[in-house]
Amino acid sequence: MAGRLGLLIHIAAKHLLMRKRQTLVAVSGVAVGVGFFLAVSALMVGSQADFVKTLIDSAPHIIISDERRSPPPQPGLTAFGKGAVQLHGYKIRSEVRGIKDWQAILREIDRMPGAIGSPSLSGAVTLRVGGREEALAVVGIDPSIETRVSTISDKLRSGHLIDLERVQGGVIIGEDQAQRLALGMGDIVAATSARGGTRNLKIVGLFKRGQMQLGSGTGYMLLREAQSLLGRPFVINRIGVKLPDPYAAQDAATALEARYAYKAESWQERSADFLGLLLTRNVIMYSVVSAILLVASFGIYTAVSNSVADKRRDIAIMRSIGFSQGDLQLVFVMEGMALAVVGVVLGWGLGFVLMSVLGTLKFPIAGDIQPIPLDRGTRQYLIAAAASLAAGVVAAWLPARKTATVDPVDILRGAV
Amino acid sequence: MSAPVLVAERLSRELPGDPPVTLVAEAELAIEPGKFTAIVGPSGCGKSSLLYLLGLIDRPTGGRLLLDGQDMSPLSGDERARIRLQRFGFVFQFHFLLPEFNALENVMLPIRRLGRLTLPQAEARARDLLGYMGLADKALKSPDKLSGGERQRVAIARALANDPVLVLGDEPTGNLDSVNSARVVNLFRDLAHSQGRAVVCVTHDPAIAEVADIRVSMLDGRIVEVIRQETGALEPGASA
Repeated sequence: MAGRLGLLIHIAAKHLLMRKRQTLVAVSGVAVGVGFFLAVSALMVGSQADFVKTLIDSAPHIIISDERRSPPPQPGLTAFGKGAVQLHGYKIRSEVRGIKDWQAILREIDRMPGAIGSPSLSGAVTLRVGGREEALAVVGIDPSIETRVSTISDKLRSGHLIDLERVQGGVIIGEDQAQRLALGMGDIVAATSARGGTRNLKIVGLFKRGQMQLGSGTGYMLLREAQSLLGRPFVINRIGVKLPDPYAAQDAATALEARYAYKAESWQERSADFLGLLLTRNVIMYSVVSAILLVASFGIYTAVSNSVADKRRDIAIMRSIGFSQGDLQLVFVMEGMALAVVGVVLGWGLGFVLMSVLGTLKFPIAGDIQPIPLDRGTRQYLIAAAASLAAGVVAAWLPARKTATVDPVDILRGAV
Repeated sequence: MSAPVLVAERLSRELPGDPPVTLVAEAELAIEPGKFTAIVGPSGCGKSSLLYLLGLIDRPTGGRLLLDGQDMSPLSGDERARIRLQRFGFVFQFHFLLPEFNALENVMLPIRRLGRLTLPQAEARARDLLGYMGLADKALKSPDKLSGGERQRVAIARALANDPVLVLGDEPTGNLDSVNSARVVNLFRDLAHSQGRAVVCVTHDPAIAEVADIRVSMLDGRIVEVIRQETGALEPGASA
């Protein structure tokens, strides 16, 4: 019945055009609601995406360390099963020898498409400059592989990761620590390991301040040199894994741990607290922006409600002509929908402008002047449109039901 | 006497209350095609109430209404609306045109709602009807730019839009001067006599009642007299 629908749309359009001011108010209400929804959610989603990206990229997606979560199965238990053997007070032995057979694990990781594994050895050393001593958690890496696994090279204030290979005894430490020890690029510092080995290290790079994941007391060295400084030749105690899809990390970590028994921690596991925080934040954000959209739909309610009240006589006339109850409700629901649709389209425009303005603003973030992270994806536009249209239809439908209360007899006889 | 198109059998309408108010009491009436029926009586005698019952706008509280022999009582609101659209045309004391639409669009409303004609066909039919009403040049005027008589003729054109068998008028000349009034009444006679429609008019104007083929008198909700009479056209100035 295209003709019928066309006619009802025609009537709805006439009603709206006859009440320009009210139409304008209702439409701008929706437009402002949608516009600010877009701006706020772009900020929130953008900053969240940025945050999660930082979370994911700052460290490898999976870290395999030389720890075990549970004791390896004992031969006695395997052989005799339940009941025959009981072990009391059994403790997890710490793997002082690092990850055994790590080359096999690396080969396994290389077999996963797109995955990269970077072996490293970490240990504690003490830096001594004059009378001052500071602890340094030193990490020995292969720079060419490590750059592909984590983003640490982005966090360098000065120097390059690859300099570790060029300079004998090269080390990269944090800006903060360098400042405390009054060290600069190219300075020499003595490092003593817990096992007593001492070497002179040369500062070849500095990390930016305020990198949570790195901490202020972490330093990077060449894997070979770290092994020699820490007195643990050929040993590694950590494998960082980068995956093509970060969200596959949990499954891959579980699989790796099941196979090799070493603790494999995904970024999700490491950041469970932050992810929980983000959930709360999303709940807050969507409550607030839904309230904006809801308030916008009040304008539609008022407009349609007034329209129904004004048009009681016309409703009665159309009923007498032979329009059904449903026809007339549809007319008023469509008025609400039209207000919502026009409001949404204008709101998209407003939101786009607001986002463009926000996009030009720059703030000091993580020691740098950066633009605010914004999510300008179409998803937010669609959510705003869907929510506004739904709210608009409900807001129009409520008063539209009142057309049923119009008694044609009363009105036609009561006249104008 | 031709077969009636609409038959009221003991048709009653009461308003709920204590005691209930009786608007129409057990009306027996047959509406015939080709005849101009006038329902007359003093104010408040229930003649308009009877008309709204006959026109399926109001529902009776008692009795039956048969359209072409079919009982209208069990029909839903939407079914009754559909029948109004196809079979009935209404003209009221006030023109009741939709103010947002021009004359042509007002006449097209029922045609478009019925949806049997394409838009150009609907427009052609509406223009024909306006031409028949002598309003061909006023088609694009909005109702507030038309005189009272012109508006009422647009309303009649709209009532005829879907070629109804039944044309019902509730004091259709109540707001018109005598010239326009006579014109409308003669038009109604013509709709009955030349076009074979069943025309029913509620009026308190004795001059109109004089020219009706069938004159139904009501008092206190009851039909007290039905007179069939031979009549001629109404001359301007004859009505009160």
